[in-house]
Amino acid sequence: MRDGPWAAAARRLSRNRPALLGAAVLLVLSLLCVLGPSLLGLDAMLTSPELRNRPPSSEHWFGTDAIGRDLFARVLVGGQASLAVGVVATLVSVVVGVSYGMVAGFYGGKLDEVMMRFVDFMYGLPYMFLVILIMLLFSETARGQMLPVFVALGLVQWLTMARIVRGQVLSLRHREFVLAAELLGASDLRILSRHLLPNITGVVIVYATLMVPQVIILESFLSFLGLGVALSWGQLVSDGIAVVNPVRSYWWLLVWPGAFLGLTLLSLNFLGDGLRDALDPKSRE
Amino acid sequence: MLRSLLGILLVFVCGLLAVGVTFSASSQDRAEFAFINPVEPRSLDPTRINGEPEGRVLDALFEGLTYLDAKSLRPAPGMAESWEISADGRRYVFRIRKSARWSDGHPVTAHDFCFAWRRLLDPSLGAEYAGVLFPVRDAEAYNTYASRADSLEQPIAKALSALGRAHPERIPSAAFRAFASEQHLEAAVKGTPNAELLSLLKEADAGLPSSRLPLLSRALESEAQRLRSEGALAERRFGRETGVVAADDHTLIVELNAPTPYFLELTAFYPTYPVPRWVIERPGLGETWFLPENIVSNGPFRLASWRVGDRIRMVKSETYWGKDRVRLKSVDALPIENGTTALNMYLTGQADWMPTNSFPADLIDELKKRPDFNKGPALAVYYYRVNTTRKPFNDPRVRKALSMAIDREVITRDVLAIGQEPTFRLVPPGIAGYEPPVPELRYDLAQARALLADAGFPGGKGFPKFGILFNTMEAHKKIAEVIADQWKRGLGIEANGYNQEWQAYQATTQLLDYDLSRAAWIGDYEDPNTFLELYVTNGGNNQTGWGSRVYDQLIAAAGDIERFLKSPGALLPELREREKIQALIDAALAEQEPAAHLVLANRLRMALFREAEALLINDAVPIIPIYFYVNNGLVKPRVHGFYKELRDPDGKKRPNLRDRHPLREVWVEDGEAHGP
Amino acid sequence: MGPKEVVALLVGLALLVGTVFLPPRPTRWVSALCVFAAAFVGFRIALSPAASAVIATGLALAAFAYLPALAQRRVVFLVPAMVVLIFATTLLMYAAPGNPFANERVATPTVEAALRAKYGVPKSATDFFFVYMGRLIREGTLGPSIKVLGRSVEDLLLPAFPVSVSLGLFAILLSVAIGASLGVIAGLKKNSAADYASMALALIGVSFPNFLIGAGLMVVFAIWLGVLPVAGWGGYAHLVMPAIALALPSAAVIARLARGGVVEVMQQDYIRAARAKGLPESWVVVRHALRGALTPVVSYLGPAAATTMTGSFVVEVLFGVPGMGQWFVKGAVNRDYSVVLGTAIVYFGMIIVFNLLVDLAYVWLDPRLRTQKAGDA
Repeated sequence: MRDGPWAAAARRLSRNRPALLGAAVLLVLSLLCVLGPSLLGLDAMLTSPELRNRPPSSEHWFGTDAIGRDLFARVLVGGQASLAVGVVATLVSVVVGVSYGMVAGFYGGKLDEVMMRFVDFMYGLPYMFLVILIMLLFSETARGQMLPVFVALGLVQWLTMARIVRGQVLSLRHREFVLAAELLGASDLRILSRHLLPNITGVVIVYATLMVPQVIILESFLSFLGLGVALSWGQLVSDGIAVVNPVRSYWWLLVWPGAFLGLTLLSLNFLGDGLRDALDPKSRE
Repeated sequence: MLRSLLGILLVFVCGLLAVGVTFSASSQDRAEFAFINPVEPRSLDPTRINGEPEGRVLDALFEGLTYLDAKSLRPAPGMAESWEISADGRRYVFRIRKSARWSDGHPVTAHDFCFAWRRLLDPSLGAEYAGVLFPVRDAEAYNTYASRADSLEQPIAKALSALGRAHPERIPSAAFRAFASEQHLEAAVKGTPNAELLSLLKEADAGLPSSRLPLLSRALESEAQRLRSEGALAERRFGRETGVVAADDHTLIVELNAPTPYFLELTAFYPTYPVPRWVIERPGLGETWFLPENIVSNGPFRLASWRVGDRIRMVKSETYWGKDRVRLKSVDALPIENGTTALNMYLTGQADWMPTNSFPADLIDELKKRPDFNKGPALAVYYYRVNTTRKPFNDPRVRKALSMAIDREVITRDVLAIGQEPTFRLVPPGIAGYEPPVPELRYDLAQARALLADAGFPGGKGFPKFGILFNTMEAHKKIAEVIADQWKRGLGIEANGYNQEWQAYQATTQLLDYDLSRAAWIGDYEDPNTFLELYVTNGGNNQTGWGSRVYDQLIAAAGDIERFLKSPGALLPELREREKIQALIDAALAEQEPAAHLVLANRLRMALFREAEALLINDAVPIIPIYFYVNNGLVKPRVHGFYKELRDPDGKKRPNLRDRHPLREVWVEDGEAHGP
Repeated sequence: MGPKEVVALLVGLALLVGTVFLPPRPTRWVSALCVFAAAFVGFRIALSPAASAVIATGLALAAFAYLPALAQRRVVFLVPAMVVLIFATTLLMYAAPGNPFANERVATPTVEAALRAKYGVPKSATDFFFVYMGRLIREGTLGPSIKVLGRSVEDLLLPAFPVSVSLGLFAILLSVAIGASLGVIAGLKKNSAADYASMALALIGVSFPNFLIGAGLMVVFAIWLGVLPVAGWGGYAHLVMPAIALALPSAAVIARLARGGVVEVMQQDYIRAARAKGLPESWVVVRHALRGALTPVVSYLGPAAATTMTGSFVVEVLFGVPGMGQWFVKGAVNRDYSVVLGTAIVYFGMIIVFNLLVDLAYVWLDPRLRTQKAGDA
């Protein structure tokens, strides 16, 4: 039986050790963040200010923060939000940005120009006010929830993705294989999905893996405006940065959330490269 | 390829050169004394500012009739070399120093003060600190009567007739009260001598038959006319015939409404500083009159340059009368907002002084160990407002329960950790002559639970989840999280802290669109009034929806004690300490000798404030006080003339509550180099 | 935001779409007109009406004669889009809670009315839009700041603009130099040490916000080693740390994008063909691979350059750089409407210019597009 392209890709991916490792680490991290707090009986909001700013110990594995909350619990609970925000907001902007950019680049001409000028216009609107208005749209009860955050992040993140994809499609548009498919009477949708999409996956995956950390960090800026989630890695990292200074550093406040964030990104990048290779039509057997 | 590489290189070199051009404009050596001024001043125009960062600069550039001496922060002769006070304490005659000069050589005259004070009160300029001059005769009339008449004639009249249409038979009490509070009626008719109007209003408070409505409209109309004509009269007279008058170039006569013991401190406060009329009125300058190229000042320093975001450079003024005592040659105010950057600049010797709260709060545990760290009590309070218009917070038992379930010790000792004082009171300690009431609330979980159960929420069951609003800042977030956790554990109720940036936060609190909100108040002057007047009904900064007639009357009585002495009747029976207050009234009335009478009147005034504060913090509890701030700062050892503890002329010591250090008397002495 | 305002906004946006469909000949005329309008208003800020009219006329004539078609179309879009953007931003600002006169000590209605009249900030968004545009055209000013009194928006932005542009230019060049070279090397030697080094850089650069990088640099170089000044602006030494802090995040993205592009391109048939022809490897790389690989980098660079060269608030605050980034944040935080619009205008202009440069660069990178564009037009 002949493999479909997806099965072939999966097979190629399964042979890529770094990618598999990345996937495994991501899985373990997600499970830890989602199940860990309840399994280990950790409370991320329980304060005990008299135990503030304690370095890691057997009791508090990652130490405690400025009002004596357990940092381990906070890193895990913060991970839930950050992973969700990072993955969902990135996926949304990938889907929007890729389809938008492909349509613009493929049809070109006036349509492309209108669509790209719209992107430029969106860049021009002051982001802070967009976020403040999103905050107003969602009631007080939705505050601290993720939906408004997805909206606020999705609003801008797709713009650069759309421009990158459009640039790629523009240069692929007049390649021989696209022209050949057109001559053979393939529908636009088929050309876009079967011929162009596979050829831009590489760039899309690379940029998407870079977008995840940007999104996670941007979320901590949203919380400045009162639109963050309750607790996230981005906020933990920026809290940790606040105490980086020459006088005295509570290093654990920065190192642990930073390490979890870094580990996630590293795994994502390995997985992303593996996916890229696996989906690359050039390496088809 | 080579060509494009060359092109990139060219762009690069051009870029470097372009950067170089921007340097020249800003390269400046540091001044002899440089301090962190955490916010860029908005303006140097006394009618347009209200903050401490502006005050620090203005105090160095200008001088009022008096100035605050650094060692005591008590008024000393400034532009006025001497003054006489009349026996009844209502008339001051200031002799302006003949040697006083503006920085362009003009002599400083009494007319400069008349101009500046008229300008401060000019209603069209909207000076936020115009109220500072209200003790002066005709000042309040000039500043506010016209706009009060406007609001009586326009929105209030309109709303009143709408009210009449909506209730053709009889205006119910609730509807009238809603109208009165929405239209700030009380403020508009404050102090009216119209007895008929007052009795009509009192009647309406209990419900008004429609037949009486035209009467009320007419009374309001005539009150508006009175305000308009008195306002117009005051506008004509103030600064020319009444209030403040220049008898000649060097004699300034000030008439007060009532004896004002702190008046000489007001003349050392920047809103009352003189301003250079010939510069302000120069055509085309407009709001640029205070920029370095235009400004003329009369203080110990003059403005040399001002680069927004970089520094304000001030240099010693050669025309200042007391220039021999000014030891600093140049001063930089550095508008550094980021605490870490500010601290780094301090540590590397680019700044000599970091005032209160200009460094990162997280470092306090470390910084307080340093020998150059200093702290002292402050005239400021941190508290939560409760929205008393929302259920279940409209029930005082709920508010008391919330207050009693907060362990404030934990917050001041462990969260903030600079030794702030936990409190159930609003007015900070240290105000001379004021004995605050004893709080009846204390940290007591059992009683808090009982109060909550009384209010219908045993064990917190059925209590809605609510929000604690704070403006974006790390410390507020920590406090809200700790308090929410304490309430959850202590009372079984769920609170959720959430933040908004400053503008949104203000809009939200003004619209009463919150459950609980964080607030703080820094005293403008050392008197309970600056804190207690916040909570008069519909006061602009009340923002809790709470109001009490007795409270309003107490604050009004303390504001005009002589009038209260004449007719204390109505208020007395409602007071807690009525015997004590009656005794004070009797004593004050009996005392004929003016100075002794003043002392007794002031004692009575303080007793009224005490009564008002007791009502606020023990009975009504529309606010939940949390702690009194402390001042803290870092000062390099090379800096001299900073006094943590003040010494009054009579030798009494008191803390420097407002962390003020007049630059006129600061000097630096380098033992070693500036280095870190 | 009332229904009328929304309709006006939609009409404006429809007009913008219309500009795209302008035929080539009128485009030339309209673009000259737009250049005149933009240049006149722009130069009015610094010069007299007569002088700016002369300069604007000269520029318009030059544009008419020499501007490439692509750029002409962009200009025809830019100028009306700026007006619509100002309107849209005004609606956004007015819809947000708070206003420039809301202060801790509440002003009475009369005072607020007086202040609104004085600074030209009426209560309705549409009125403000007309006040703003009228002032811009008639008086050639971006309006007074309401929080830094006595200064107009151009007083604040004009000295800050060159600082941000030069610092940003420096940072972008640095990030391209670091990012592209690391990325290309990594892509050519997949899974080598160089590859992993580029990955490590990307991780550091992307996962830590620039203020962390900045704070780290400051602690090491200014506090511990004492070789660089902590903060301020006044010499090339002041440039080093903010430029690195600004450059690293985009260097990281560029490195990853370039690597991906090179990996992709090196598998293409034409590279294999070039190699098969026996061309030297370095020539293959430079001549063919690089061009194809850099397309995504160039796409990314458009918005990135515009953002970097209009300044970064955090980096400026951290290093005390008197740049423009602070005004984006302060304007919004203080609801200083004119400042918000001033920054939006500058940023939008930069976005349009850099995306235009990117579109021109596509053609340079891929000559086949030139024929296609010509065919389109």
